Amino acid sequence: MKLTTKQLTLCALLTAMALALSYLENLFPLSLAIPVPGVKLGLANIVTVFALYALGLGEALLILLARCFLGALFAGNMNALVFSLLGALSALGTMVLLSRRRALSIYGVSVGGAAAHNCGQIAAALLTLGSTAPLYYLPVLLAVSLLTGGLTGLASACLFRGLRHTDLMKG
Amino acid sequence: MRPSPKLHPTAWDALVVLCVAALAIALALFQWRGGTSQGLTAVVSVDGTEIDRVSLEDAAGEKTYQAGAYTLTVEYAAGSTRVRTSNCPTQDCVHTGVVSRGGQSIVCLPARIVIRLEGGAPDPDAVDAVLG
Amino acid sequence: MKRLTAYVLLTVLFLSGCGAQMSPDEAQESIQVIAMDTAMLITTYGERSPAAAYACEDVIRDLEAKLSRTVEDSEVSRLNAAGGGAVEIGWDAYSLLERAAAYSSSTGGAFDITVAPVVSAWGFTEDSFRVPSQAELDRLLPLVDSSQVSVTPSLDSNGDGPKATVTLGPGQAIDLGGLAKGYAADKIVVVLREHDVPRANINLGGNVLAYGGRPDGTPWRVAIQDPARVGEQDAFAGVLALTDSFAVTSGGYQRYFEQDGKTYHHIIDPATGYPADSGLTSVTVVAALGEGDGSGFPGTMCDAYSTALFIMGEERALAFWRDEMMWGEEGCPFDLVLVTEDGRVVVTEGLADRFTLEESSGYTLEVVSP
Repeated sequence: MKLTTKQLTLCALLTAMALALSYLENLFPLSLAIPVPGVKLGLANIVTVFALYALGLGEALLILLARCFLGALFAGNMNALVFSLLGALSALGTMVLLSRRRALSIYGVSVGGAAAHNCGQIAAALLTLGSTAPLYYLPVLLAVSLLTGGLTGLASACLFRGLRHTDLMKG
Repeated sequence: MRPSPKLHPTAWDALVVLCVAALAIALALFQWRGGTSQGLTAVVSVDGTEIDRVSLEDAAGEKTYQAGAYTLTVEYAAGSTRVRTSNCPTQDCVHTGVVSRGGQSIVCLPARIVIRLEGGAPDPDAVDAVLG
Repeated sequence: MKRLTAYVLLTVLFLSGCGAQMSPDEAQESIQVIAMDTAMLITTYGERSPAAAYACEDVIRDLEAKLSRTVEDSEVSRLNAAGGGAVEIGWDAYSLLERAAAYSSSTGGAFDITVAPVVSAWGFTEDSFRVPSQAELDRLLPLVDSSQVSVTPSLDSNGDGPKATVTLGPGQAIDLGGLAKGYAADKIVVVLREHDVPRANINLGGNVLAYGGRPDGTPWRVAIQDPARVGEQDAFAGVLALTDSFAVTSGGYQRYFEQDGKTYHHIIDPATGYPADSGLTSVTVVAALGEGDGSGFPGTMCDAYSTALFIMGEERALAFWRDEMMWGEEGCPFDLVLVTEDGRVVVTEGLADRFTLEESSGYTLEVVSP
């Protein structure tokens, strides 16, 4: 995959933003309102969705992998990598499919991405735990993903609207 | 590079939302009818060795356990259990009453019998150990 | 509209708080052990958790065989039956006798293993409760005297042979029950380290070892039973958030009997021969894990001090705490949670941010600084 310097810089910036967003969302006390392990705003999906549309699948995947690895490294917790990778990849995969449906807006794509992210994380938990206990949390997480997906959809919509007339969107 | 996505919610988005909600409800129903082995279970052990395991999901009835000179009658119900009678001297096990959450236990020291509950709904307020 | 959206988004992003992450769990092993007259629950995590858990059980059974007053040929039983004769003891009993002497001295006699004959007179050893007469207590109290316990270390302390020889004064008896579980906890730390166990939740009948923290990275949640609501499930005075710590609670409510309208509990004051009446309903002592090289004995200390401080009462206990913090030779700092008869929970400063009062208990919280 050949990237122009501009594209490479953009990828790096987006990776940094995704990491910053992941860190920031930890400050939001969602788990106080909804006491379920793994519940979070999923703000990094904004970057994934933007990269998908602005750059393409390859670049989006690159950014995703980079932020998962770096995120785990910075947190000092490589064990969490399985969770974040499976979640993020599921989200990307679902959003790729959903984005093909022109009838869906960014909101639909984001909600789908958020739901898939949670499914991916639960799948990771099932694998590491070896029991079906994590499935217990999935209904709540899915319900929450309707809201968090809507939120990230809103943020992404603002982002796209703002950048519409720049040449960022034109590659 | 894809064409710019629609920036306003459409009717099809509602379909996505409905699908996710339906999935959530389906999973919830499946779980909470207790079809899994992760439901609340009473584990009975004598001197540390497990002798019985009773699922409290749909349980009803009584079982008698004998250990040495002591006999305990344990009553099982959906979601809870208790020792109904015992011929031990201090009756601590009977006095413990009903236990209904994972982690709780009833102990009969003279008989060396422990009934410990495992599984069930994870409780964010649950403690890991009790002092004293 | 754009501004509003921006503000909403900003607010969402910058509210502060903390989020819990689900993390992968390791293997775990949970075993129930009935020993030392109590039910114990050992839960270990990590690859070698089964081996570790059973090794912990072995430690407990081994100590019970050596130290229990109710096991006929334990070292302690033989000593109590020796009638003043010399008895050889091994490393564990020797360590404990040394510790007991130190604790007796530092607590001004509030902790005293030679109080055993008096405890027996009340019937607590055999669960046949009775109120001894004053005359009987007057006869037995002189036997409560740790200075009459003579411990002579063996010359050959490197081999496998006995580590010391002990003689008691005439008529004396000792009970290491106030130390045994704490000592077992100290030994269990060594076992857990040997097995590379990342975390464990060890509850030796109310003596808790919170090793590492919970699998999700938060500290172990260890609740303190509310002495006023003993019959109820989940009736706590408060909850401690502990990582790599020992915690032991002593209280009269743990074992008592009633006669003629009066309540008599099992924590006998060595000075009076009567159940301690100090204004406290429970004492919890918390200490950090030591180096685990067998030099400090934080677990044993917590066990001994919880009993001693219950007897000493609030004022003496806090004075003791202050002294030990300043001049304690052990390097084993500890903190306290005292539950008083007049409805207060007194927590020493070092524990203040790890203790959460249970609102429904109705107690008022007091934090004490050195």
